[in-house]
Amino acid sequence: MSDHFSGPRALTDPAADISDVFAFPAPDNGQHLVMVMDVFGKSGPSAVFSDAVIYRFRIRPVDIAATGLEASFAPSESEMIFDFVFDVPSDTGGAERPVQYGRCLTPNGRTISFRADDENGGVGDGVQVYAGQRSEPFFLDVRMIEKTAATGKLSFKPKGADTLYGTNILAIVVKFDWRKMLEGGPLFAVVCETLAAGKRPVRIERVGRPEIKNVSLSFKMFDQVNEDLEIRDLYNSEDAFDLKPDYFDTYRVRMNANLAFYDGLDGEVDWPFDGHGNHPLTKLLLADFLVVDASMPFAETSYFEIERSMLEGRSHITPGGRWLNEDIMDFVFTLYVNGGNGPPVNDGVDAPIAWSSKAFPYLAPPNPPKGGAA
Amino acid sequence: MTDLSETFPLELEIEPLSLTDGLIALLNLQAQIDGLEGRHTCAEAATLIDLLILRGLILGRISDYERAAQLADRQVGAATADAAAYMARARTRAVFHRFAEALDDLDSADRMSPHDTAAKRERAAIMQAQGRFDEALSTYYAVIDGVGQFERAAALVGLWAERGEADTAQRFYLDSLRSYRGISPFPVALLDFQLGVMWMRHARLAEARTCFEAAIARVPAYAAAQGHLAEVEADLGNPEAALGRLYPLAVSSDDPDYAAQLARILGQMGRNDESSVWRRGAADRYDELTTAHPEAFADHAAEFWLGPGNDPKKGLRFATLNLEARKTPRARDLLTQALNANTAGATSARCSGAALPN
Repeated sequence: MSDHFSGPRALTDPAADISDVFAFPAPDNGQHLVMVMDVFGKSGPSAVFSDAVIYRFRIRPVDIAATGLEASFAPSESEMIFDFVFDVPSDTGGAERPVQYGRCLTPNGRTISFRADDENGGVGDGVQVYAGQRSEPFFLDVRMIEKTAATGKLSFKPKGADTLYGTNILAIVVKFDWRKMLEGGPLFAVVCETLAAGKRPVRIERVGRPEIKNVSLSFKMFDQVNEDLEIRDLYNSEDAFDLKPDYFDTYRVRMNANLAFYDGLDGEVDWPFDGHGNHPLTKLLLADFLVVDASMPFAETSYFEIERSMLEGRSHITPGGRWLNEDIMDFVFTLYVNGGNGPPVNDGVDAPIAWSSKAFPYLAPPNPPKGGAA
Repeated sequence: MTDLSETFPLELEIEPLSLTDGLIALLNLQAQIDGLEGRHTCAEAATLIDLLILRGLILGRISDYERAAQLADRQVGAATADAAAYMARARTRAVFHRFAEALDDLDSADRMSPHDTAAKRERAAIMQAQGRFDEALSTYYAVIDGVGQFERAAALVGLWAERGEADTAQRFYLDSLRSYRGISPFPVALLDFQLGVMWMRHARLAEARTCFEAAIARVPAYAAAQGHLAEVEADLGNPEAALGRLYPLAVSSDDPDYAAQLARILGQMGRNDESSVWRRGAADRYDELTTAHPEAFADHAAEFWLGPGNDPKKGLRFATLNLEARKTPRARDLLTQALNANTAGATSARCSGAALPN
């Protein structure tokens, strides 16, 4: 749930609010790539997908354009898309969860029908899809992050409180033979979007990397240029593969300011700004897509390893992307605060309520409702 | 989608909106509420309060408003320095027409977070509800630059509608629809409803019906829209259709308005035995609600006692209380109606049925 509530507009449409995106080589089949989109964080048992939303996975082959301090990617112009759409539930009377049907349109034009919450999902043309409610795989202590931002001091406790403990999300999972389904590669950039369906679909939200909009961009108080600007809806409206130059400096300045704040939390400067006045991670992070090497074997911890290898001028040794069980908050804070030069930053929350498995549909089954209003 | 072209000139025609189906929206509203139950960060509590108010508004559930008010009181007690807690409580107090206390809460929120314009927008909404239209308008315009085009136009629909300026309200309504970029049907259905109420007050029942039908097409479970459409249908000479809408609402809702409407329409149809059953139920519930929340239900209680409840003195008492809380044109009209009904020898045209024993 690294991107939950990531902009005022998303708040009004919970089923369109993307909380996380994952991309990883299938642990159970080395030929397959898996992509996951989570929406509707903290959803109760009746949650369903919207019939007015297109849930979209965008995939582009990508090259490494530069390494070292100027590290950057060059996504291809060619793009492959998996679209998911859903019907209005056919039956809500008495059922614990409404019965909802959906369809996946694959990049080669094939339609795969499925019933939501069916763990076997829909299958066709070497593609397996799942959609339904699952246990929230993300874990973090939001209060201590907010306290860190408010006090300017790392405030994590040895034993933190998982803000998302026992909560559920709606997940869409697609697993496919990437060599048959995709063109190019093996390095791919993945972005997920929700779009308002209609004659001219309008992007509601987009997510690539974890914790870009919330941890990295949301705090306004360090931004000396736009200290009053809620930047996230503007950011959501941009094409991840084609950021408009009109607003790029707005994002750049905000990202620079917030990354500098995090870098200073340990009293050391581990990320000196470059000659253009930019934090070395800013350009990479604003290329807000997950980059995964589909040819590499599955790895438990791989997020940002490709980018790290680029910064260090070496070859990557993992598939990159992002696996469901990674402790993203520890990674992000360690990266931002000391760049790996110091001790790992631990946010005090090291596991979700249930780990994801290595078998389709990977995410753990949903948790029972907490209920019981105080 | 409901065709609005008969109500609005063609040059103002708008493209159909792509909105989440009303059934899904309601399931997901329930899912949001369930997902936040038992979780207690300040932001979550404030969100839960807002969602409960929304569900109360859509389903006509006073119990949701009451629960939101309890949560808000508790939240302020637990976070005395949190502006969001005071904002949330202000909203619940405004729901129950406790406007002075709501404004006190907004003062507190303003002191804690002076640059936050949300409290100022809430203040404008309360001024509007109190009938302080000029102050509300200037307050809206002072803070409106920071909000989106839809929010800006939508805020002004209700204000101009309350003020009785139909053309201006309609213009902002159409601006709202054109600028809406969300997919939730609730904000749009609420605007349809506001405009429908305005047309009702202008006795333009065909336009009112179109607006209520639009609201129901977006959110079929929207109780107030169903109830008002029933009222319009009855006034247009189709009481059976009205009864068909009102029976399920009168059973499912804890708001006595639907039972009161049933009593009125059945009485007008000469079905007095059935009418008296619903009348008794509505009377008991209005007595409960006006004891617990006198300001909130003063207007509807006054209408009930001046109408099917047939107790003009009680009607006058609540119409007077209502005007003390909100000096709107409608509140003044209601008091005039109550005074007329209490004139020696007068029998209000709307009074029906035998007086209920006290």
